[in-house]
Amino acid sequence: MLNISYNVVRMGNSSSLMLRDEEIEEISRETEFNRNQIVRLYSRFLSLDKKGQGFLEREDLMNVPELAVNPLGDRIVDAFFTLAGKDDKHLNFRQFVQVLAYFQPIDKSKKNQLNDRSKKLKFAFMMYDLNRNGYITREEFKVILNSMVGANITADQLDKIADRTIEEADADQDGKISFDEFCKAMEKTDIEDKMSIRFLN
Amino acid sequence: AAMIIHFVAGLASLLYLPFIFTIVLLVIFLSATGLTLGIRQRVADLLILIFEWGSNVTEEPEEPTKDEQTQKEEEEPKPATIKKRHSSSDLRIIKREHSDVIENKLQGQDVLKKKSTVSVLVDDTLDFISAGIESIIEDNVTSRFSAEQLPSWNLLSRTKYDFQHISPKLTILWILGFCFRYLILVPIRVCLFVVGMASMCLIASAVGHVPNKSIKKWLNRRAMLMSMRIFSRSFSSIVRFHDRQNRANQGGICVANHTSPMDVMILSCDNCYAMVGQKQGGILGFIQTSLSKAEHHIWFERSEANDRKAVSNRMREHVDDPSKLPIIIFPEGTCINNTSVMMFKKGSFEISATIYPIAMKYDSRLGDAFWNSTKQSYGEYMWMMMTSWAITCDVWYLPPMTRLEGEDSIAFARRVKKAIAKAGGLVDLEWDGALKREKVSAKLIALQQKLYFERLSRRTSMCNDVTDEDMDILKNMSEEDRNQLLKQLDESDDVDAVIRKVSSFIPEVAQLVTEGNQTEPVN
Repeated sequence: MLNISYNVVRMGNSSSLMLRDEEIEEISRETEFNRNQIVRLYSRFLSLDKKGQGFLEREDLMNVPELAVNPLGDRIVDAFFTLAGKDDKHLNFRQFVQVLAYFQPIDKSKKNQLNDRSKKLKFAFMMYDLNRNGYITREEFKVILNSMVGANITADQLDKIADRTIEEADADQDGKISFDEFCKAMEKTDIEDKMSIRFLN
Repeated sequence: AAMIIHFVAGLASLLYLPFIFTIVLLVIFLSATGLTLGIRQRVADLLILIFEWGSNVTEEPEEPTKDEQTQKEEEEPKPATIKKRHSSSDLRIIKREHSDVIENKLQGQDVLKKKSTVSVLVDDTLDFISAGIESIIEDNVTSRFSAEQLPSWNLLSRTKYDFQHISPKLTILWILGFCFRYLILVPIRVCLFVVGMASMCLIASAVGHVPNKSIKKWLNRRAMLMSMRIFSRSFSSIVRFHDRQNRANQGGICVANHTSPMDVMILSCDNCYAMVGQKQGGILGFIQTSLSKAEHHIWFERSEANDRKAVSNRMREHVDDPSKLPIIIFPEGTCINNTSVMMFKKGSFEISATIYPIAMKYDSRLGDAFWNSTKQSYGEYMWMMMTSWAITCDVWYLPPMTRLEGEDSIAFARRVKKAIAKAGGLVDLEWDGALKREKVSAKLIALQQKLYFERLSRRTSMCNDVTDEDMDILKNMSEEDRNQLLKQLDESDDVDAVIRKVSSFIPEVAQLVTEGNQTEPVN
């Protein structure tokens, strides 16, 4: 009997201790997710945190099979952790939601649309900028391309595609792509549509 | 006062024990004869009504307890009933549009004109990013390894989620339910379990001594059916069998989707099967030995289990013998949460050309039968089952399927899986159930890369290196030259042949191509 009542207490209280109403309200204000969405995301956060540590590590995200087979899988995880904050090995729930907020659809009626678009572009830029020095070099691009197609193309073809791509966007001809050049190259792409995720209510 | 309490307690125990024994005897009688009084079904229906009433009750307190101004404004225009969730698919967080786009791209569903490599790569990168983020929020695979979320609470503390408000009314209901389950149901169930276990082992050993083969078979059948029915009542299982005309009668291999260790018990209530498994020690080993005395089962030593050929051979021997019982196999290899069917291992599909598929769908409202072996031990699981309301299951016997001409076992397995998923209303997934414990294999990652490479070949001129410069030269050809060239080209030429022919016709193109393709000189 004692064992069972312990379980009851645990189930009822342990997770709600970790996510109080005030926290939900704060996160809701910061990220513009509503209460329902935050609670569901919390439930997801808990299921990803298999060891029950209260934070996520890179391995926890890579345990999702669909992310593991995504060619940009480990780049996405890397960007996630870099954007989250100073400690790029641990991700708490607040940081988790903050990064996901980058992918909210842009509300056309709001004023700071440019800020939202810029955030999305920043995430995409981080896919390629491996050493996070603010520039995408030919070598970095080749690494990404390699992870997308694997051993299926020759080193020559790899080089050629990398060259062509860098050339197209490299406005100041310095052999690498800065964030501004990247944004300019993406002007014609519908970033809002491509990098927005439809959250259900 | 103490005297009165003692008196009442004495009276209660005087009534209580006979009550339990009567029920146990009644159950044994019903199991032996295969009859049913329909009590379980009626109680189950009553419980479901209570749960639905309960979920109506939970919606009320939500509005007054909210202090947030903005949320009040959101809530007001909506009537209270909209928030009631009707199925577990309503519990989705996002709509996975970008993942679908990637799926289509990789499967080649969008066959359009060829575009430049750079634009395709950029476009795809963005889609991959969004699909990746979608899979972080919600994915098709990890959700299959934990119990399904219920649309409304079923008064078991194990399924209570922390975003549910529990009113006082519901708490009282829960306490009543708790008492009923632990004080009445559990003792009955434990007795039945012990009785069932005893009858199975003792009768099986006894039957093993009978010399006459056909009488032995008949006795074993009656004994097993009775024991399994007692077992299933000890967990309060309500099982409905459909299409019983498709039942396997003589030998053959039956396959089913796997959700819990009780799958075999449930299937054995209707038909006798030969079981396949690893030889265990302890109690399970004792059960295995007793069962083997009466009928032929296939138990492997641990070392043999790794030798796939030995396994196949033993199974083939068994299947070829018409006097033996049909084998039951679960090709998924592990327990899945019964919302989907995952990859079927091809091993069992190589043994016999005819398979009898069985689809099993549990209704988790009264008790979720899924065994999460990473979180619960076997003992914990059994206890959870005993303290649930009931286990409800629908079993469909599908017509036997035969392997087609030229179909390999992987394709056959996939076909059977599809049929089972369709019959049970489950999602058909190609993912391997082993992902419950293991990481994605390097092979799978390489396959994705190959699929993407093929997409790039379809959509861009990447592999053929026909650059814009080449196109310009071709455009500036004289009409005469172009006609001549066209005569040389054939409809059936692939792009390489075209390049070759064009290059030999126009020297400038030849030069460009050789510069570009240093690894593949044009001859």
